[in-house]
Amino acid sequence: MMIQVQDLQKVFQIHQARSGLSGAFRDLFNRNYKTVKAVDGLTFSVEEGEMFALIGENGAGKSTTIKMLTGILNPTAGEIRINGLVPYKEREKYVNSIGVVFGQRSQLWWDLSPMESFRLLRRVYQVDETEGVKWLDRLIEELDMQSFLNQPVRKLSLGQRMRCEIAASLIHKPKLLFLDEPTVGLDVLVKQKIREFLRNLNETEHTTVLLTTHDVSDIEALCKRVIVMDKGQLIFDGLLAELKERWGSDTEVTFHLKKRTTTDDVRQVLGDLPCEITQDNEITVKLKFKHEMLPYVLSTIMSAFEVSDVKVQETSTEEIVRNIYSTPSEVVSHA
Amino acid sequence: MLKLYAELIRIRFLTMLAYRVNYYSGIIIYAINIGAYYFLWGSIYADNTTLAGMTLTQMTSYVAIAWMSRAFYFNNIDNEIGMEVREGKVAVEMLRPYNYLSVKAAQALGEGIFRFAFFAIPGLILIRLFIDFPFPSTFSAWGLYLISLLCGFVINTQINLLTGVLTFFFMRNEGLIFAKRMIVDLLAGVIVPISFFPGWAQSVLGYLPFQAINYYPSMIFAGVIQADKALQVILIQLVWIVVLFLPITWLWRKARHNLVVQGG
Amino acid sequence: MGQVIRLFSDYLSQYFKTKLSYRANFFSELVSNLVFELMRLAFIGIVFQHVDKLKEWTLWEIVFIYGYFMIPYALFSVFFGFWDFNERYIIRGEMDRILTRPVNPLAQVCLESIAPDRIFSAITGFIIMIYAAFQLKLSIAWYDPFVFVLLIISSVMIYAGVYTAIAAVSFFSDSRTGIAPMIWNIQNYGQYPVDVYNNIIRFILTWILPFAFVGLYPSAFFLRKAEWYTYTMLTPVMGIVFFLIGLVVWNLGLKKYSGAGS
Repeated sequence: MMIQVQDLQKVFQIHQARSGLSGAFRDLFNRNYKTVKAVDGLTFSVEEGEMFALIGENGAGKSTTIKMLTGILNPTAGEIRINGLVPYKEREKYVNSIGVVFGQRSQLWWDLSPMESFRLLRRVYQVDETEGVKWLDRLIEELDMQSFLNQPVRKLSLGQRMRCEIAASLIHKPKLLFLDEPTVGLDVLVKQKIREFLRNLNETEHTTVLLTTHDVSDIEALCKRVIVMDKGQLIFDGLLAELKERWGSDTEVTFHLKKRTTTDDVRQVLGDLPCEITQDNEITVKLKFKHEMLPYVLSTIMSAFEVSDVKVQETSTEEIVRNIYSTPSEVVSHA
Repeated sequence: MLKLYAELIRIRFLTMLAYRVNYYSGIIIYAINIGAYYFLWGSIYADNTTLAGMTLTQMTSYVAIAWMSRAFYFNNIDNEIGMEVREGKVAVEMLRPYNYLSVKAAQALGEGIFRFAFFAIPGLILIRLFIDFPFPSTFSAWGLYLISLLCGFVINTQINLLTGVLTFFFMRNEGLIFAKRMIVDLLAGVIVPISFFPGWAQSVLGYLPFQAINYYPSMIFAGVIQADKALQVILIQLVWIVVLFLPITWLWRKARHNLVVQGG
Repeated sequence: MGQVIRLFSDYLSQYFKTKLSYRANFFSELVSNLVFELMRLAFIGIVFQHVDKLKEWTLWEIVFIYGYFMIPYALFSVFFGFWDFNERYIIRGEMDRILTRPVNPLAQVCLESIAPDRIFSAITGFIIMIYAAFQLKLSIAWYDPFVFVLLIISSVMIYAGVYTAIAAVSFFSDSRTGIAPMIWNIQNYGQYPVDVYNNIIRFILTWILPFAFVGLYPSAFFLRKAEWYTYTMLTPVMGIVFFLIGLVVWNLGLKKYSGAGS
């Protein structure tokens, strides 16, 4: 077992600023505090070599959870055991086995080339020289960083920098990699390159990867397993496929037909099947229905009409996430 | 446009207010500086009744008021400009429909108003409790002091804008800014009145704007510069304000040009 | 500890590489530091144009104390430069990155802000001190160099303790610049003999923020002012005590940071 989290809880005292000028003045002498449960009873475990995503809205407790998992914050209550260590108790020993990328924060030296940063980080993590150089060469090759290795970091593009950030976090070959919003603002090609790299890393080195992201395509490309947090609580833990099933909205199929067809014609064929039928133009009909009805609908329509083209649109994870959030939390919290 | 600047001033004022430890420590810094110089000067005067044409009483009120004037005019906008240039935030500021330097000046004024209300005034009253020094006796003397002080604020802000804009050319100029702060404190007469300087130094300083920041207003307050001469001094300050606009405008134009050419 | 010392040389080379990419600023910083020191000497010079003595101290005695005063501060600044600790590590959250690395956090913060160029300031101070010593025709005993090293180390430890504690205050408060500038202002009064101030300030500079131990008290030994010898001997003790206080406050702060977070 790589990560074991049991009843994790984190409570903050947050300063409530009063509004306006007189409020600010009163704040000088006397402050209001509010207690906030950022993380409330989180339990999950992760196997070695898993790639999984932690998703949730802003303020759902994701970053607090990450901070506790990386040993930056102490939990108020509950237990964390990662790789056999308790992060906040044996911090220096523990962080040797993890790599962290905070997408919004750089760990590279701004005025120096990435190569210099890598060299220094190797010393920080006390990496064996020959091993380290060999490993770094591989990272450089796989992340395709050769062309900009000797330019100062401040001159790099965001995509180049992010590849360097990931390499920097892996310099000591950690068993566990935390990626906090690693693809924000990157173009599709760079995203793809990074995903490909991570998949490969996971396959060859069995690196466990924990990802937080707003970009659903990241999850689809990388993770089988998804953990969803809302208001500090875990509301879903399972496979991406299950998640889709539970909160997935309807499947949408577009039929291009050879002859003019109206929605009524289609309705007649399908009978009272729960299904939303819309007409795009004379020969194009769009159907929306529950995913499990797909085989039935396809075969029925195909046999009743002459079809020239079919387009099946699966629910995107994006939609799923939107659906989860729009569902009142009381309804969901049975998970 | 005026509304924008009023809003900037207000926001800066509120920001200053929001950081309370700064507020407490600011008062303490000034109290300790004034106290220490008060005793230092007491030891320096020892048995002498006057040094460089000033009595010990005039000197103590000079020290108190010089620091309190500094409490008003001092600001960090040179450092802020430097930081924004280095972090590339300036490029964004350039896109906004206002003049960057005027925005900085407005922020300086917001900070100045805060400092005047929460540092200078209570500080002055506080120090008056411990150190006995005379306040100006007439309304006109108070008025002249305040006008002169405001001019000093403008000149100091202009000098800060100048050093700040230099970041466009040197990228990292924290050293320069730091040295400038010391030079301004010494040459503006915060640490020692200009009349204590050797003759040659005094004549050189006559051609520089620094004493217009603090020495003039503080000497008006201490009663060493009398009303008729005070008007003359304020006129000199106004001339400096006008003169200092030239290098700022010139450097700013060059800086903007640089930014366009090199892309920050 | 061994690793920290090895890392020091790595960070040192990193520092010079960074500085070399901004050559002009490197020299402007050196010059401006020098200007700063000369300004303070100028004040002493200006005052002594009008008087012969400050209390019982002559011009060159004051200059000697000032020269000594510069050395420990400069040496301390080589290893400790996190004046923007609050802004950089707390407000911008770089502390999180520090905590994800397997090196002592305080050592990391120190290493990330080393300023070896400040050594020039120590050399300047030493030259000023020696020059003043010649003007005063001070005698030098065989043990003086050893005492000097011991006292300088003690003074550096006082700075380290005080400023580590001050930086750690940022863990408790969300203030932007914190109180470091305030302490820095107080520190500058250590450059004059403390007997020019009144008793309260003297007390503060001796026991609360012991900046008399980075100027007058140790240098009085070389000026052969026997009435201050007790304080001279206390200097190493104060160094150790304040250094420990600094570490304790830092560790408390770190605990609070991990406990509360942001």
